[in-house]
Amino acid sequence: MAQPVTVAIIEDHPVVTEGVASWIRSDPGERVRLVQTARDLSGLGVGPQPPADVVILDLELSGELITTHIPALVAAGFRVVAFSGHSDPAIVMETLDNGAHAYVSKDEGSEHLVEAVLAAAADRPYVTRSQARAMLADQRPARPTLSEQERQALLLWFQGMSKASVGRRMSISENTVRQYISRARAKYAATGRTAPSKDALLARAIEDGVIKPGEIAPYQSFARAEAQRPSLGAPGQ
Amino acid sequence: MTATQPTVMLSGRYQRAFTIAVIFLVAGWHLAGAGGQLLHDRAAYSSFAFQGAMWLVMALAITAGSVMVLRGEPGWRPAWAVAVIALAASTAAAVASPAGQMLAVNWAWGSAGWTAVLVLLRRRFSELAWFLAAEGLAILAVQMRDGLNRTDLAGFLAVLAWSTGAQVAVAAGVRALDIAAGQAAAAARSEHAVRERAATAEIIRAARHARWLALQESAVPLVAELAAGTADPGDGQVRLRCAVQAARLRRLLAEGDDVTGSLVHELHASADVAERRGVAVVIETAGPLPEVPGSARRVITDVAIAVLTAARSRARITLAAVAAGIAVSFVADTGGFVGLPAADEGVAIEQQQDDGMLWAEARWHSL
Repeated sequence: MAQPVTVAIIEDHPVVTEGVASWIRSDPGERVRLVQTARDLSGLGVGPQPPADVVILDLELSGELITTHIPALVAAGFRVVAFSGHSDPAIVMETLDNGAHAYVSKDEGSEHLVEAVLAAAADRPYVTRSQARAMLADQRPARPTLSEQERQALLLWFQGMSKASVGRRMSISENTVRQYISRARAKYAATGRTAPSKDALLARAIEDGVIKPGEIAPYQSFARAEAQRPSLGAPGQ
Repeated sequence: MTATQPTVMLSGRYQRAFTIAVIFLVAGWHLAGAGGQLLHDRAAYSSFAFQGAMWLVMALAITAGSVMVLRGEPGWRPAWAVAVIALAASTAAAVASPAGQMLAVNWAWGSAGWTAVLVLLRRRFSELAWFLAAEGLAILAVQMRDGLNRTDLAGFLAVLAWSTGAQVAVAAGVRALDIAAGQAAAAARSEHAVRERAATAEIIRAARHARWLALQESAVPLVAELAAGTADPGDGQVRLRCAVQAARLRRLLAEGDDVTGSLVHELHASADVAERRGVAVVIETAGPLPEVPGSARRVITDVAIAVLTAARSRARITLAAVAAGIAVSFVADTGGFVGLPAADEGVAIEQQQDDGMLWAEARWHSL
């Protein structure tokens, strides 16, 4: 990778911003370059620097959940990686449905955030354990149908095994494990509300041979119904 | 949930019986009443074929309506679609009747009203009232087109009173029976709840006794050895036994058959002890989990205790619903395989080890 991926952080707690910046700095390949930090959405894209490839977005700014702002960010051409203290499956699903590329809970940050940013920049699927959990917990009628193998790979990944261990457990290669998990993610990108980020992810998944066009259910747009639904409140409400 | 189910079923069974009774009434009326009149007056119609076709349309509407109400309460769209078809067939039959004889040879008015009773039975009462009013007005309009004298008006009012009155009475009767069935079911439920509470109390008492017996076998001898000085707290083996017994005590205290999500509760109690040793334990669940019976829960928590006791610095416990059961898994840095309890009580146990990380899974199936 010749050019590093540029990233902006939107986060209202400076100590977290500093932590994320240190993970980015300590990446041995220096594959990611931090170009902007902002404490709220209005600060994004303001300034002389070119807009970042990927936005690391804290989902709770000044005590308010901002999942409903993701579609606007995606429409403006940003790839969004949500980074949140929440791991409630309903919030994870809403975030992904709104067009975020990946969801990294704060517990998963050191292990997954840089990788998730790189995957998002390439429009490739990235599935953290909290995402796997949300997919396994999904009970919505409009959820995509996962194959037995995809479900099993997601389950073992959620349980905490490494992908190599999941492969051993299922008697398949680590690469096939990635394939199953990515395919499950791509199926999710093909459902719910439409978003350019989801289209890009799907197109890339087809190009990479992760999924065949025939395996994707036709778009079911619930955008109108979703827009009228009030967004999820703060936890505990 | 479980306590309300018999009630809902009981009340639902009565309601279904009332629905079937109404279907028989409506179908019987259309076949014998309306069909009989249609055949009796066949010479009077300008086109018997057209009247017969309208009779068939009405029969189809009644069939569709019956299927709908037997499958559950229909939404307003399908219910009103059937009602409007019946109204249209009835009005068309009236329009096609010979002038001056419309009321005498009208077979359709009653059938349309009964069809509406059938499909609107469990909807708002005002919907049926609107339908019957619309139908009365439609017939009146046809009669006025043909010319309305005093005899006709009297005949119209007589038929209106007779047919609408009967239809309203049946709809009101079914509504009253529905309410009565609900009350009967509620009475049955409270009786069921009393019996269930008594049974639960007995189960809890038996469980307490079993816990006390379990402590007699495991924790009490250890405490006795410590008190007598035969067990040395400085000995690593003794400390391990203490850790296991502490975990078991906590689990027994946390056990309670009436706590929802009690398996999660018990796993938390087991994790507590490991956390005191400095092991970071994460417990996560995915999706709604099935209830696991106490005996199977005990096997699962025994697996948890074995893994957590061997964990060096971190452990992850997850609970996920799988087809007809639950998969409880443990990933911990144990450094190797762990002696796990044998599969029992419908719980299958497996483990795999990679580079010092242990993965163990206890899977319980309800079948």
